Amino acid sequence: MSEFAIQISNLKKSYKNVHALNGVNVNISDGEFFGLLGPNGAGKTTTINILTGLVFKDSGNCLVFGKDTVVDYRETRSKIGIAAQELSLDWFFSIEKLLYFQAGYYGINRIDAKSKIDELLNKLGLEKKKDSKLRQLSGGMKRRFQIAKALVHDPDILILDEPTAGVDVELRHELWNYLRELHSKGKTILLTTHYIEEAELLCENVSIIDEGKILKEGSPKQLTEELGKSGVTVQLSKNTNINNLKISSLDQEYTVEDSRVHFSVKNPELAIPKIIQELSSKDIAIYSIKTETSSLEDVFLNLTGKSINE
Amino acid sequence: MINWVGLYTLTSREVGRFFSVYRQTVIPGLISSVLYILIFGFTLEQRISEIQGISYTMFILPGLIMMNTLTNASSNTSSSMLQMKLLQQLPDLLTAPLSGFEIALAYIIGGTVRGMVNGILVLIVGVVLIDLPVHDIAGTLLFIFLVSWAFSSMGLVMGQIAESWDQLAMIQNFFLTPLSFLGGVFYSINMLPSWAQSLSFLNPIYYMINGIRYTILEKSDSPVSTSLWMAILLTILFTSLALIMMQSGKRIKQ
Repeated sequence: MSEFAIQISNLKKSYKNVHALNGVNVNISDGEFFGLLGPNGAGKTTTINILTGLVFKDSGNCLVFGKDTVVDYRETRSKIGIAAQELSLDWFFSIEKLLYFQAGYYGINRIDAKSKIDELLNKLGLEKKKDSKLRQLSGGMKRRFQIAKALVHDPDILILDEPTAGVDVELRHELWNYLRELHSKGKTILLTTHYIEEAELLCENVSIIDEGKILKEGSPKQLTEELGKSGVTVQLSKNTNINNLKISSLDQEYTVEDSRVHFSVKNPELAIPKIIQELSSKDIAIYSIKTETSSLEDVFLNLTGKSINE
Repeated sequence: MINWVGLYTLTSREVGRFFSVYRQTVIPGLISSVLYILIFGFTLEQRISEIQGISYTMFILPGLIMMNTLTNASSNTSSSMLQMKLLQQLPDLLTAPLSGFEIALAYIIGGTVRGMVNGILVLIVGVVLIDLPVHDIAGTLLFIFLVSWAFSSMGLVMGQIAESWDQLAMIQNFFLTPLSFLGGVFYSINMLPSWAQSLSFLNPIYYMINGIRYTILEKSDSPVSTSLWMAILLTILFTSLALIMMQSGKRIKQ
């Protein structure tokens, strides 16, 4: 079996004259928690829709555990569970029945599906509502049902398209904890999001996508260190001689504005002791000191020149 | 390899769907058929002479069975498919390890069951209320089955093409209902001027109605073998169209 759970190479898709995807490349290892981070309309949903068979690609390849998603679709789709961004509705059946249908589509009969469905209803707090129709559930419950539906055939890969869009803070944290739990049990998780915090907190690696192209990939830490704007700002006393503030143990330039000195460093916490030590040894009085930690938001801004929520 | 559990699941979903709203999918056809029988049987029949030696109520009943069958079969698949599209349920099927062939087959069987249930119920109403003589029950059931399957497939084609309820209603109102009425439910084409008779020969539903009328009453405007071949032809045509469309996914995927 391939070491990669998902390999997407040079994926292209156009709608009439709009290039939705311009050669997307993504590799996700088995067991990885991966984020596809980008603003609305960047191509995140199109990418996963091609991967799962909802949208035709123009060119490129999608492999799931080394198998082509078009040629070997039965095998690849069985390995994926997807919680779509759009909540589906059903007017006819109870949510428990819908879960049995979903298991059936994946070739699992009622008897074999029962224990998994009971477990998911219980785990996601839907037990008491199992005889309700979808429209009778609250927004949060619908979202949880969506995840139960994605997990009913116990897939190796879970794909979540904007799972916490429009969800309140409490539920968002509940879902995050549940996703962490699933990941710790070995599931590969692909998450698309435009919430920076979500990607930073959960994902081991992210790809930043904009206008149908992957701009950068790496761990959130790597990316923020490389492209972020972190640093330490030191407020000095008004009459301090600001010449020769260079900190020899930090290979960094500094900028001065009034009596504030800003050191651009990748790891502000580690730089603080060095700065304090050297400035003190030069008899420079420090009035206050603060760190600025970079986020993926800065990385995105740096790469595209715009905010992710624009 | 066929995903048998998947096929069975989707089929039972489709059948369960219409049974769960039987007041909307089974009862109306029954009520309108009983009304036709009451109105024609107790009032108009005394003013309308027999057709081909058959009382008028009895004459129209096979046509009512056929109309009920084909309307229900086609609307089951067309409305279910459109609903799936509009309510975002289709992705559940398209991301599952089901082939287009399996999805189409499950839908067609679902529509066929609804068509047959409705057709057979009107047949039973006819037997109970007006002693409808069924000369060839196997032939009658064969016609009900073929027409259910053919129009269920046609409905699936319509459901894939349509993007709104409005479009679906348009196909139903401007195409299916007029063809049914002009197919000779309420008259023998011998009562029409010759130009209208020639036009009727182009109407496939004309053959369906006359086919089932022959198996029930042994009266028909067209030879029963022609009707049977037309039913088989339509079944093959619409089934192929529905399967090819679904397998290609062109109308349901981007």
